[in-house]
Amino acid sequence: MSLVHIRRGRVGIAVAALAGTAVMLAACSGGGGGESTGGGAGGDLIVGTTDKITFIDPAGSYDNGSFAVMNQVYPFLFNSQYGTADVTPDIAESGEFTSPTEFTVTLKDGLTFANGHKLTSSDVKFSFDRQLKIADPNGPSSLLGNLASVEAPDDTTVVFTLKNGNDQTWEQILSSPAGPIVDEEVFSADSLTSDDDIVAGNAFGGQYVIDSYKINELISYKPNPDYKGALGAAENSSVTVKYYADASNLKLDVAGGNIDVAFRSLSATDVDDLSKNDAVKVVDGPGGEIRYIVFNFDTMPFGAATPEADPAKSLAVRQAMADLIDRQALSEDVYKGTYTPLYSYVPQGLTGATEPLKDLYGDGAGAPDLDKAKAALEAAGVSTPVTLNLQYNGDHYGPSSGDEYAAVKSQLEEGGLFTVNLAQTEWVQYAKDRTADVYPMYQLGWFPDYSDADNYLTPFFSADNFLVNHYDNSEVQELITAQASETDAAARQSDIEKIQELVAKDLSTLPLLQGTQVAVVGKDVDGAVLDGSFKFRYAPLHK
Amino acid sequence: MVTAVDAAAVVKPVAPQRGGLWRYILIRLVLIIPTVFILVTVVFLLMRVTGDPITAALGGKLPPAQLAERIHEAGYDRPLIVQYAEYIGGVFRGDFGNTITDGRPVVTILLQYGSATLELALYALIVAFALGIPLGLLAAYRRDRWQDAALRIAAILGYATPIFFLGMVLKLVFSVALGVLPASGRAGTRTELALQSLDGQTGIYLIDAIRLGRADAVGDVLWHAVLPALALGILTAGIFLRLVRTNVIGTLGSQYVTSARARGVGEYRLVTKHAYRPALIPIVTVIGLQIAVLLSGAVLTETTFEWKGIGFMLSEYLKARDFVAVQGIVVMIAVVVAVTNFIVDVVAALIDPRVRY
Repeated sequence: MSLVHIRRGRVGIAVAALAGTAVMLAACSGGGGGESTGGGAGGDLIVGTTDKITFIDPAGSYDNGSFAVMNQVYPFLFNSQYGTADVTPDIAESGEFTSPTEFTVTLKDGLTFANGHKLTSSDVKFSFDRQLKIADPNGPSSLLGNLASVEAPDDTTVVFTLKNGNDQTWEQILSSPAGPIVDEEVFSADSLTSDDDIVAGNAFGGQYVIDSYKINELISYKPNPDYKGALGAAENSSVTVKYYADASNLKLDVAGGNIDVAFRSLSATDVDDLSKNDAVKVVDGPGGEIRYIVFNFDTMPFGAATPEADPAKSLAVRQAMADLIDRQALSEDVYKGTYTPLYSYVPQGLTGATEPLKDLYGDGAGAPDLDKAKAALEAAGVSTPVTLNLQYNGDHYGPSSGDEYAAVKSQLEEGGLFTVNLAQTEWVQYAKDRTADVYPMYQLGWFPDYSDADNYLTPFFSADNFLVNHYDNSEVQELITAQASETDAAARQSDIEKIQELVAKDLSTLPLLQGTQVAVVGKDVDGAVLDGSFKFRYAPLHK
Repeated sequence: MVTAVDAAAVVKPVAPQRGGLWRYILIRLVLIIPTVFILVTVVFLLMRVTGDPITAALGGKLPPAQLAERIHEAGYDRPLIVQYAEYIGGVFRGDFGNTITDGRPVVTILLQYGSATLELALYALIVAFALGIPLGLLAAYRRDRWQDAALRIAAILGYATPIFFLGMVLKLVFSVALGVLPASGRAGTRTELALQSLDGQTGIYLIDAIRLGRADAVGDVLWHAVLPALALGILTAGIFLRLVRTNVIGTLGSQYVTSARARGVGEYRLVTKHAYRPALIPIVTVIGLQIAVLLSGAVLTETTFEWKGIGFMLSEYLKARDFVAVQGIVVMIAVVVAVTNFIVDVVAALIDPRVRY
């Protein structure tokens, strides 16, 4: 036998063996597609998401993907119970204003981290002090702008000294991305701690601990037996989170039963498709995201800095636009119901939310009204058609922005009152231009920092608001300041409602849509709670 | 008359000169340095065309004051030549900087995800060999018949079809429509968890799964590799097929084969015994070129199938406009291609000493 024969023979045998082994092993794996699930109370669950983590150190990130991890593993002084946006003590026994500028929290007795370290008021002070000291540009330290100092007079007492008294958002802030309590024996006081060190240090005190961690690929969680907070123990044996880059792969896996839960962010068409699939259930709830148009009071038609400046005509243009917008059509045609019509500035689901734009504009029931728009323009003496230069962005608010704004253009032009010049700019440039008076009217979206109406009012309508759109209404600003420190809940709610009413008349921005939280779960999975807290907790999930 | 002995003398390699191989290796090695240097420079300059990396990644996300602070801290407000000198210094020390979006050392990203790309490239090469060589031999054996024509058309289609398109078609057919093969990932979730718990992971899932000692894990890993390996390997298979066919037909026309044919050796035996081995030699050289093709193709294939390797990460960092990460990954790919070509040149020289002249 020649050398060539011997080699070819060996190669042939090896290839055949490899192929045979592969087929046999693949058969053993059951096709590779299925996932066996372990036993135990509530079962082992696999959650899929397209969110991304930047850091799991609370001082270093301020994004949905990172906060989703923090929510499961870190304890909070205050938190929202399942099904509500309102917060109550979590690992705190109680918390209240003991003076206008002092908020005193009493911790529960015997708190510990999963690594056995005691969780005392010293850890709480450490957690907030390091947020302020590190003040990472990617972190949430800006939420603590009202915090002057933190003291820990004994092991279970924490005193927060605030700059402005009676801050009614403070309890919400304690439950926000700025509020996770970390272990001072594991975390660095003045720099970010790496994810690996946090996991290795088992520095967790929330409902779960991280069992294994591969960033943006796979994280497995196990219930934390030492958690003594108000949310209770997990109803499952473990949760594994798988990270996807492509929502269509997420959809395929949840439809195929390879994962038990898909949460954030399936496309509208995928959700629509999955809602017809008997193998899964679509669960939805109010979402904190809002989408809206901003008016620049200086540069919009008849704006203060234009040659034809006229406040009355400028308002009439805004009113006529509000009369013509068909939010229901945007919701259904563009987003297949994954966004719902928004008729106010505070989204539905939050305490104090009203719908003043429904009554004030259109047909009075939420639908558009061309005659009303014509009347508004005629009454102000505006010649039609009015040219509107409307800017939007295609790479920051999801791929459907183009369709959304094409529909907005079409709605505004119907009836011949407006001619809309629609233009798109890439986000990096867009973000610079919008605050430099470049765009007369433009698209923006907003995710809340915490679940309180204030977070939809102060950033938008206070004197130095982040929109920088030259809107200035002293009555609105006084009410914003008043509600922030109003200790009477009913009086505060009244202030919040009044602000929405006033701004709806001024139309500083035009709200369009409110996001809906959507989770798709296997038909045997229960316990998915999507509420006004906008936090998706893994603990109530079970099979 | 030409005898079989004469024919053998025609293909007998030229005897290597003493020191020729070492001189050749040295020259090739020295040539890598300017190649890599030019590549690093070009990539550095291209990444700066659109401005500083901090603004590219975080512009619009940070307030202007914080953005300016970050730019200053990172040194991107200094003269370009200073930045370049520092970057080159860092590259020589193996420091490619930290990514902007998540602050991780680029070197860690390269090490962590490089093994996944290597694994996929190896699977693709296996597909290329397994399809390209036998089919190339078949095409040569059935030359100018319909089987040959069909295989040549298939080869052209194979390497002319864009990788992302082929990947999408495979995924749509086998994952979406038929539901028989996984659409994404390198393994099922539970297999990945099991591999994650393994001490001293290599990052090459097949090896790790074998070390884990679980047949279902090995099967799961191989099962997930089928579509990405096909998508990436079919292109190279088409090239191999054409190359083997052409070389075998060329060899079949040589004197020693004519002589063998005259001795009554059958056509099948001529192809599989006499023309087969010499026809494979050029493939060694082509593999070197294919490494670059496989690495660039990996970006599309890994993205399509969420195969979390270097190509996938490059795509993610490009989307995030993290040009520090992009720069590091592109430079690393360039270095790998340069080094691989060097190795291939050396191997080719060892096989056939004539390439040294």
